[in-house]
Amino acid sequence: MSESIEEDAINLLLQRVRVLDPIANGDRIADVWLKDGKIAAIEGQIVDIPPETTIKNGENLILSPGLTDLYSANNDPGHEERETLTSLSKAALAGGFTRLTLLPNTVPPLDNAAGLTFLQQKIPSYAPHFQFWGALTQNLEGEKMVELAELADAGVVGFSDGKAIAHWGVLRRLLEYGGPLGRPMAIVPTSPQLRDNGAMREGSFSIQAGLSGDPVFSETAALAALLEIVAIVRTPVHIMRVSTARGVELIAEAKQRGLPVTASTTWLHLLLDTEAVGDYNPSLRLDPPLGNPGDRVALADGVKAGVIDAIAIDHSPYTYEEKTVSFEEAPSGAIGLELALPLLWENLVIKGNWTGLQLYKALTVAPQVCLGQNPLSCAVGEVAELTLFDPQKTWIANRETLFSQSANTSWWGQEIRGKVLSVWHG
Amino acid sequence: MNQSWTRHHILSLANFSEVEYDTVLQTASSFREVLSHGTKKVPPLQGQVVANLFFEPSTRTRSSFELSAKRLSADILNFTPGSSSLSKGETILDTAKTYLAMGADIMVIRHKQAGVPAAIAREMDRLQTGVSILNAGDGQHEHPSQALLDLFTICSFLDSDRPRLEVLKGKKIAIVGDILHSRVARSNIWSLSAAGVDLHLAGPPTLLPEYFADMGNVTLHWHLEPALQDADFVMTLRLQKERMTSNLLPSLREYHQRYGITRDRLKICHPDVGILHPGPVNRGVELSSDLMDDPRLSLISQQVTSGVAIRMALLYLLGTRK
Repeated sequence: MSESIEEDAINLLLQRVRVLDPIANGDRIADVWLKDGKIAAIEGQIVDIPPETTIKNGENLILSPGLTDLYSANNDPGHEERETLTSLSKAALAGGFTRLTLLPNTVPPLDNAAGLTFLQQKIPSYAPHFQFWGALTQNLEGEKMVELAELADAGVVGFSDGKAIAHWGVLRRLLEYGGPLGRPMAIVPTSPQLRDNGAMREGSFSIQAGLSGDPVFSETAALAALLEIVAIVRTPVHIMRVSTARGVELIAEAKQRGLPVTASTTWLHLLLDTEAVGDYNPSLRLDPPLGNPGDRVALADGVKAGVIDAIAIDHSPYTYEEKTVSFEEAPSGAIGLELALPLLWENLVIKGNWTGLQLYKALTVAPQVCLGQNPLSCAVGEVAELTLFDPQKTWIANRETLFSQSANTSWWGQEIRGKVLSVWHG
Repeated sequence: MNQSWTRHHILSLANFSEVEYDTVLQTASSFREVLSHGTKKVPPLQGQVVANLFFEPSTRTRSSFELSAKRLSADILNFTPGSSSLSKGETILDTAKTYLAMGADIMVIRHKQAGVPAAIAREMDRLQTGVSILNAGDGQHEHPSQALLDLFTICSFLDSDRPRLEVLKGKKIAIVGDILHSRVARSNIWSLSAAGVDLHLAGPPTLLPEYFADMGNVTLHWHLEPALQDADFVMTLRLQKERMTSNLLPSLREYHQRYGITRDRLKICHPDVGILHPGPVNRGVELSSDLMDDPRLSLISQQVTSGVAIRMALLYLLGTRK
């Protein structure tokens, strides 16, 4: 396992580093001086270097605000064999994430204020900034509302069950009751009835693979219903895990109508589609399933156009035993915190037509805005909460390199280009 | 050694070449010839171990593979889930590795879920074991040996001395029934498309989604008659009774009325039409009872006989591949 990549920012000069600041739309080569945990200077060339300053060559490296993950699974307590808060912290930092927002899927679920206190006490001292989604319904069952106001007062960042609320009447009441609490409500737009246990996005590929199909309308019908409710109730909603081209269209229309919605897709839905499922790798069993090729393209265009605000990692570890089953029987989800930035950079920026700023915006500023927070900036005077990325460095994803306890990724054993070298997290 | 065969695993017919089909048909034909002279056993797989890993229970296919392997003088290991450690926390890969450790050269795998043979093949390749995997039916994905024995049956029907792909060119074949849930239908679609068959699929929309049109040169019908019109062969599929509970069909009665194959319905087919069914047949549902027992029309018992020759051919080609 690699060494920790956290660094302190007491007195460090990074020379000739590429600084990406999505807030200011800035993308330039500069010298950056970090002093006492803050960004003390960013200049084309800093010549007057104080003594005892550590100097580091930043050539061909990218310095950005620390990445924020909008939602990932939390298995501690409950399934520590998959991931603990300690291993999760290390994985997040190794992947460049200084802020993690965890779903309430612990056992027991985070559906009361005492649970939040318990979790806050468990956070390791060297962790990134943790924030927590509180449950919307008791035991995440989608039936009875939790004490939302008490959870909000206790400090949850927002509310989500991390899975579909099947009963639209319950969803309506949640949005009505929770509206005045001023916290984002993150909703998964899926109709479990229409999904009907489908394991793969329905289409020609699911038919040929012989896997049960999950039709596009399991997402779009639920999304249309959600948007109609939001249009009347007006509670701000974050739409999670958008996975279809038609879903992007519906959200674009809703935003045009001025509905208070933000949206995200996951990094895997931007990189892969049903064609990748052909070899039945259980690490590609996702919820929602990977889209057809047209969905992947529409999602990428949606992020670039700002219709889909953010890219979430949705890091979902499972043990070898849990995932070493057939594709249909495998639990949904894959790990991603340590892989997302390099693979997105390589495939969307280097091989695709994204700009570096477009990608970083969706991983830094946008998730913070979706959470209703003031976004981090890479500017003089700001706290040094930063990520330093080497887009060229190659490494193999395996037990020696990954901090996550789990191995459920289709890139296991493969060479990855791009590695986060350092993080500063204030 | 068999010089012409290079494929290491038989998992799907999706990318089978014409040469491969013909090699399988010719090899099966030779074995049928040998067996017809009273020879019960031939030696080519002597000393090799064939492991039948049937995670999903099966009597017919397993027996067919077992007999085929025995006739090739291979040693057989049989795994059935009833006697397994799967319920004790063992993964499918652990099971496969156990049989690897016992010296298996070929693993014949059936599983109720799609992709399991492929997953085991990937693991065997990763471990550089040289073990060949033969898919004996995985979920709704494929059942290559069944489709190949169907192919062998109908090619032999048309030219018993020299069954080969080209004799099927331009023939009209209808596959009727629950196409959606059928691994046999998927493998048949690949093989019959490759043969240049005029292929028609028929069934209710809930069991025949339009996406099947993307599998190749096939015509879809939600009514039976146009599929049967002038057909040279009709392949029917088993209808699982649980399709009624998931609301895909209102009743067996209505299904038989609309899609059941009866003597009367066959009148619009080619006069020499042959009927196939992978078995076991729900008599009176997908096929009327009297048709099944009519030797002039039904090729069902030939299918079973062909099964041994085809499976001998597949085991032989995999076992002697270099």
